[in-house]
Amino acid sequence: MVEFEPKIIGFLCNWCSYAGADLAGVSRIQYPSNIRVVRVMCSGRIDPIIPLEVFMHGADGVIVLGCHPGDCHYSEGNLYEERKIKMLKKLLALTGFEPDRLRLEWVSASEGQRFAEVVTEFTEQIKKLGPSPLSGKKPDDRILENLQAATNAASDFRLRVLVGGERELTEKCNVYEEKIPQEEFDSLLEEVVKAEYVRHKIHLLTRAQPLSVRALAGAVEMKPADVLDQIVAMRRRNMIALDHVEGTTPFYKALEVK
Amino acid sequence: MPEEKTDRKKIGAVLVVGGGVAGIQASLDLADSGFKVYLIDQGPSIGGVMAQLDKTFPTNDCSMCILSPKLVATGRHPNVTILTNAEITGLNGKAGNFEVKLRRKSRYIIEDKCNGCGICAQKCPIEVVDMYNEGLGKRSAIYVEYPQAVPLKYMIDREKCIGCGTCQEICKANAIQYDQEGSEATLEVGSIILAPGFEPFDATLKSEYGYGRFPNVVTSIEFERILSASGPYGGLVLRPSDGEIPKKIAFVQCVGSRDFQIGNNYCSAACCMYGMKEAVIAKEHTPSKLDATIFYMDMRAYGKEFDAYYERAQGEWGVRFVRSRVAGVTEDPKTGNLFVHYVEDETPRTEEFDMVVLSIGMQPPKNVEKLAERLGIRLNKYKFCETETFSPMETSKPGVFVCGAFAAPKDIPESVAQASGAAAKAMGIIASERGTQVTSKEYPPEKDVSKEEPRIGVFVCHCGINIGGVVNVPEVVKYAKTLPNVVYAEANLYTCSQDTQKLIREKIIDNKLNRVIVASCTPRTHEPLFKETVQEAGLNPYLFEMTNIRDQCSWVHMHEHEKATEKAKDLVRSIAAKAKLLKPLEKPIINVTPVGLIIGGGVSGMTAALELAGQGFEVHLVEREEELGGHLRKIQYLLEKKDDPKKKLDSLVKSVMENDRIHVYTGAEVVDVYGFVGNFKSKIRQQNGKEKEIEHGIVIVATGAVEYKPTEYLYGKDTRIITQHELEEKIAKGTFKAKNVVMIQCVGARNEERPNCARICCGQAIKNALKIKEASPETEVYILYKDMRAYGFKEDYYREAAMKGVIFINYEDERKPQVADENGKLKVTFWEPVIKEEVEVEPDVVVLSAATVPNPDNKHVAEMLKVPLTKDGFFLEAHMKLRPVDFATDGIFLCGMAHSPKYIEESIAQACAAAARATTILSKKSLEMEGIVANVSEDLCSGCRICEYLCPYGAVEMKDKDGKTLAHVIEALCKGCGACGTACPTKAITMGHFTTEEILAQVKATLLEAKA
Amino acid sequence: MSDEKKFEPKIIGFLCNWCSYAAADLAGVSRIQYPPNIIIIRVMCSGRIDPSFILEAFKDGADGVLVAGCHLPSDCHYISGNFKALRRVTLLKKVLRDFGIEPERLRLEWLSASEGDRFAAIVRDMVEEIKKLGPNPLKAKEVEA
Repeated sequence: MVEFEPKIIGFLCNWCSYAGADLAGVSRIQYPSNIRVVRVMCSGRIDPIIPLEVFMHGADGVIVLGCHPGDCHYSEGNLYEERKIKMLKKLLALTGFEPDRLRLEWVSASEGQRFAEVVTEFTEQIKKLGPSPLSGKKPDDRILENLQAATNAASDFRLRVLVGGERELTEKCNVYEEKIPQEEFDSLLEEVVKAEYVRHKIHLLTRAQPLSVRALAGAVEMKPADVLDQIVAMRRRNMIALDHVEGTTPFYKALEVK
Repeated sequence: MPEEKTDRKKIGAVLVVGGGVAGIQASLDLADSGFKVYLIDQGPSIGGVMAQLDKTFPTNDCSMCILSPKLVATGRHPNVTILTNAEITGLNGKAGNFEVKLRRKSRYIIEDKCNGCGICAQKCPIEVVDMYNEGLGKRSAIYVEYPQAVPLKYMIDREKCIGCGTCQEICKANAIQYDQEGSEATLEVGSIILAPGFEPFDATLKSEYGYGRFPNVVTSIEFERILSASGPYGGLVLRPSDGEIPKKIAFVQCVGSRDFQIGNNYCSAACCMYGMKEAVIAKEHTPSKLDATIFYMDMRAYGKEFDAYYERAQGEWGVRFVRSRVAGVTEDPKTGNLFVHYVEDETPRTEEFDMVVLSIGMQPPKNVEKLAERLGIRLNKYKFCETETFSPMETSKPGVFVCGAFAAPKDIPESVAQASGAAAKAMGIIASERGTQVTSKEYPPEKDVSKEEPRIGVFVCHCGINIGGVVNVPEVVKYAKTLPNVVYAEANLYTCSQDTQKLIREKIIDNKLNRVIVASCTPRTHEPLFKETVQEAGLNPYLFEMTNIRDQCSWVHMHEHEKATEKAKDLVRSIAAKAKLLKPLEKPIINVTPVGLIIGGGVSGMTAALELAGQGFEVHLVEREEELGGHLRKIQYLLEKKDDPKKKLDSLVKSVMENDRIHVYTGAEVVDVYGFVGNFKSKIRQQNGKEKEIEHGIVIVATGAVEYKPTEYLYGKDTRIITQHELEEKIAKGTFKAKNVVMIQCVGARNEERPNCARICCGQAIKNALKIKEASPETEVYILYKDMRAYGFKEDYYREAAMKGVIFINYEDERKPQVADENGKLKVTFWEPVIKEEVEVEPDVVVLSAATVPNPDNKHVAEMLKVPLTKDGFFLEAHMKLRPVDFATDGIFLCGMAHSPKYIEESIAQACAAAARATTILSKKSLEMEGIVANVSEDLCSGCRICEYLCPYGAVEMKDKDGKTLAHVIEALCKGCGACGTACPTKAITMGHFTTEEILAQVKATLLEAKA
Repeated sequence: MSDEKKFEPKIIGFLCNWCSYAAADLAGVSRIQYPPNIIIIRVMCSGRIDPSFILEAFKDGADGVLVAGCHLPSDCHYISGNFKALRRVTLLKKVLRDFGIEPERLRLEWLSASEGDRFAAIVRDMVEEIKKLGPNPLKAKEVEA
């Protein structure tokens, strides 16, 4: 049997991590060949939807490398990225796709050795996890759809506003010159991630065909009462509308959100 | 009453506390009568509970449809200042001159800048439980309570806001102010009206019904939101547990009412009707078959036309009624279905339902004790406001008045009537200061543009990004410039902002504009503002037109930028075609004779007369009988025991007779009424047979009602069978003696001939039964009833009577009691539903609770005034819900038992209400009417009378001119609906501002390209 | 124009100021999307709508006409204008075919101020139905002529 050779995409910031990778090369430090590097100017450039897209295309792992805190060429891009990846892992956890396939690490320009170690270790980890459920000829449709829902949720304004504002709100201060305790923010984010994910999941499901609350409850593994709550919230945002009623069962259909 | 001379100057302003429908009505009446009003509410907008309701009984009218125009009118009234998020912190001074201290919470929004576009709420990332939807949906942390809210100003929920700053970034109007602080204010007012409403009962306190534990048990107010088309489920009735449409719903009445255990002994007065209404509407809103069952103790459909509704609910709509107090509700956790446990026919029963609705009662508002303490008013034992029978709007503190559910649980029309009544009382004590706190607006003289070619100016609003983000506004402006007669067009960031008003005025003058168009949001809220602006620039306000490219274009075609732009162009082209044809309209001015005519001198008529006289108006009070007093003469004592009605009557008559401004005509009748609002001429035939002609500005109909003369139960054939009034007289005289008394309810009421309830007989029976028991506790008293309708606090006396041994026995129409004379002995046989047997008693006296029926004069009075009667023969008001004392015809009002049977305190409230409504007219030297009225071209009129017949306001009369009979529009009465013009076979009638030419020009311009 | 798919019907909506126009506003406030084929002409009352307005609209090439007023029986701001509209539109529908117009092109609806959702649904439905019917036959005749 051929050993599983994972496909790993690495997003490296131009100033520290990419230089670190170069240094590994100059120093002829060996590491597994599975990684394909994409250079970006700053790790903060990696919008949560980018790793999701990459996963949907079948990558077995995604690693984002940026400068160490304090070293960012753009001052704090890396710290913003840290929040995005944290949110993204929460989101992935809901989809059934292993969050461990995503990692964020800091690698400086002088850390050629560390770069190699990180890549080696991540490759090992992915090997242990095995192939992505979305790789190969028969990707798992359910997980693919879940990732699509996650992508849509990550594109929606609520998560973007929260993730974008997290550092200001928890580390500096909000518009009232108050700091929001991290735990409080985390539980809020948790709740919003869950709600947005489910809503976009429902949206995708009902896009294909009108569905009832019960059918949706089965598909998203939630109590019908909670699904109904989400539908009410989705109606307010014009994401969904009543399509028709069969007997005593209303069916809902997604509205196109452009 | 002689005018009081006090050291402290009185103030012509009133504070109204609470912005529900009662507070709104009181505010409008005061403001329309020349007083400054401060309307405060503790929430961010006015509207109260009525804004949450779906439909209203007994007409099934849409609640928002009828409330929203009142909200807008209050919000725009120059004499009303709305202070939201406000609470009273202190009160100094006394009646006529109060100093009120307020604390206002911060909105974190600059109200003057916020134009309510709502883009902030769309982008706010935080979701909060939406209490307007009773927790069944979500709203944003920056929000308005509901889309039609007044004032339409957003507010930040500081507790839930995380302070991300998104709203500030997105608000193009720069209205967000995060460091805005709460404020204190001091108001100087002459009187105060309390209308803080009620608090719905907390259903979790009745844990046996499972509310809060079983998702498919909901409260009635939640159910209102479920029924509402704008509610969480879009108006489809769904089970919260699984989103399925229920097939079977149970309505449980008296949850938190008539409940000794929890201390709410009183009846909440409105729940029977709203429960029935919810059942009916639920059936209407459900596509599949829905079974609705109402579990009740007594069906208290005591109001006007309520029993007719009850009949229809049972018959036409097929609602099932079960007379039983529900013992408990349990759930099948698998299905979420509910088991309702109850006792019927002495047998415990269990029935399965898909959903249960708890008809929750009314409680006093939250924190009411604090409010009472700060104001120094007394509360009753249930913590509602304490009032007396003969002064139902007066609190224990002079100058502080009350109305609405805070005085006692009540429905909307009763609240509205009482609110107008409270307004009369509040203005009464400061009548001398009328007009001192209000400022009237002066406009420059109007330019004559009749000889000019139309020169149209078009102002297209970006509305921040609300329109501009979808519609290509510059392109619309460019297009507008190409349209015929458009000489000027420009775009504005916000056309409604203060500085744009200035700019519009300048552009009108600089470009010699004589027609102005604003393409922006809805004319329903913004047209008055722009009309004012063009008027300030010397144009007739009817030379303004508006088209809605936001609510009906950019907001509803958000993703089709090009098509939306094309539609906006179509809309501008269409309205420009109309604008070209616009003609200046004159607002008819009608002089007002500041004199009132009141028909009927009972407690209602006398009260209304005293109120009007107190306001400084002359009154003619016409009574048919030899003496004043009416029905009140027959009342010997009260259920509430405190007051002596005889003494009250005497003092009322004395006040009326001694009042210089009141001209009393007894033994007289009104024989003819001509004219219209402000300008009536009537003939009174006096006792001496002579006719007197008087001029007056308004009419109040207070003709009262009479006791039904029974034909049933041997009445008239046997002297031992008497009516309640006859009994009352005997008791008062001390001539009544009996060992055994049977009272029979609903005699002459709730039958085929008169389907409606006579309302006061239940209270009367309880009152007299208590009196009998008081004098002779051993006398047996039976009351045979269909439903004991002891609503509100009268429930206390029902309980007292039962405790004192009065035996209440329910009978159904199928088994009416039988009264017979057997060998000189009276025998009453009736079915005893508990022991399930026919029972026979031998009473000494049988008392019939005879209905209160319309005054036979009503027909004649109605014909004379051209106002309608109900099928039963009572007078029919303009609108059963929101205009309880108005007729559709302006200037004519009604009150008391002419409207329907009612208790003294209710008649007094309505009488004061009629006086307040009349004062909105009498207080003005002249009335400025709406300019949009019908006009008759006399050359074309064929005198066919179709228009006269069609007009619901009696605004068309036929006049003889040069031998021809022609239609003539009484501009004062015309409301501008245009129904007459549409029906006119010779097209002789045109409607100002909505002429046929104008409408057709719009049609043609709209379809210009369709045809090409 | 001949291409069926490209046919975009033009619908005139006569809406009364108090309930149905308010419903259209609420659709806007709630951002409920519907096709842009309707142009609304505001009148004070549905009782103001003369059958001749509707006929003129069809003559001028409207593919559909919507008349909307307050709910029966008693929501009408002018007491009974909606009943008048009901009678007129019902009668007009009966004779519309004589003018060569399918009666389905004319719709009468009652809308309350809280039925924004329903207003949008009605417009959507109408647009679809009229798309199926194709352009106003009077227009087609004119083109032929």
